Amino acid sequence: MFADELKTLRRLGVRHVLLQILNFASVLATGLMMWKGLGLVCNTESPIVVVLSGSMEPAFYRGDLLFLTNPASERYHTGDITVYKIPGADIPIVHRVLETHDVVSKDKGYVSASPLAQKQLILTKGDNNPVDDIDLYQGLEWLERKHIVGKVRGFLPYIGYVTIAMNDFPQLKYALLGGLGLLALVQRE
Amino acid sequence: MDALQAKIQSIFEGKIDFEGQKKVEQISRVTLVAAAVVSFIVGFALQSLRATFVIFISANIVLFLVVVPPWPMFNQHPVKFLPAKSPSNDKKSS
Amino acid sequence: MHTVYSRINNVSAFLSSCLMALLAAIALSSLVFTADPKGILDVQSLNIYEGHTRRYHNRWQDVTFVNFNLTADLTPLFNWNTKQLFLYLQAEYVDAKGVKNEVVIWDRIIHKKDKANLSLNGRNKYVFRNLGKSFKGASAANYTLKYNVMPYVGLLTYGEAARTGPLAFPEKRTEVA
Repeated sequence: MFADELKTLRRLGVRHVLLQILNFASVLATGLMMWKGLGLVCNTESPIVVVLSGSMEPAFYRGDLLFLTNPASERYHTGDITVYKIPGADIPIVHRVLETHDVVSKDKGYVSASPLAQKQLILTKGDNNPVDDIDLYQGLEWLERKHIVGKVRGFLPYIGYVTIAMNDFPQLKYALLGGLGLLALVQRE
Repeated sequence: MDALQAKIQSIFEGKIDFEGQKKVEQISRVTLVAAAVVSFIVGFALQSLRATFVIFISANIVLFLVVVPPWPMFNQHPVKFLPAKSPSNDKKSS
Repeated sequence: MHTVYSRINNVSAFLSSCLMALLAAIALSSLVFTADPKGILDVQSLNIYEGHTRRYHNRWQDVTFVNFNLTADLTPLFNWNTKQLFLYLQAEYVDAKGVKNEVVIWDRIIHKKDKANLSLNGRNKYVFRNLGKSFKGASAANYTLKYNVMPYVGLLTYGEAARTGPLAFPEKRTEVA
């Protein structure tokens, strides 16, 4: 069955294979470059996220795609929808800011006007949850800027559902693989 | 076994001729662009996203039904191959 | 385009480009709608009592109770790309330690255009408390009604529908009147 493939391989030679690998690598590198470049512009580690939980329904459903930015010069406001990640928790959470408190540190060595001395304490809540998020903070009393991945700016519905569906229904993954395999068998060159 | 496989393959492949391919290309391009433009305008006029997507999706279902199966109208210009030459003729000509 | 598979492949590739263009056009179309409706917000009473809060079970803390009256017609914010309106009432004040605070005390999600014409008496849904123990020495607070328009596709937009003048926090009351 693989005799044909081997024959074509021999005919095309090593250079062709290397070229294929190079092409593949350049596609990967371009993708990574765009992702990281976008992250740099938006000042966030992941500029696009998929909603994983239903706690912001009916605003966001599972599988919706969110575009984030996190400009360093901008403070957070109530009503902003933020994505945050608590150290120790494995998935980021998308919730709305309920309270902000701009504390100016009186510690020695800080100039009160400098951004270093200004700490913003944040409390969030999911629109669909009855109470605020303190229980999700794993012992933290408030969120701070360092926990926040970004502010939600834009929104595309359902596009990310594919990734969730793969996780929710493992059968789908096998069905997809099987279908591709069948196609490869049935198809003639 | 081989015959059966070939038959299944030909059903799955649904080959069409070159003229048909050109036609499919044109049809799909025009329909998709028109569907997008019309559905946007109608939806905006009626202020309803539902109208937009009903139009766009139904246009696409029709398009796929027209374009994907190998309808006879895409096979009206079969390629006419030259008659096979016998090997002896072939040798003389080369 | 010669086999079924390649036809499906080609047409769906072009379909997804068209779909993306359509979604982008829808997202951009909401920039055309620039409604900025205004309403009236009245804070009718402010009371401060001492109480326990969920955050610190074993500590007494001052809690402010707000009663307000709200009339606003927000129907102009609904267009074909509006999924819902998130409406929230926010208090802004600076406390005795110079901390600037923004606290949401009430919110509501509006799904439908015919429910966006509001006229209601409400009180705070969320516990309104200061970072420290009390509100003593805090500046007068501004109460503002803000909204967040959430589209089906596109950018989130924010706006302000009503605002009260600065209202001073009252003295703490010891017994429930």
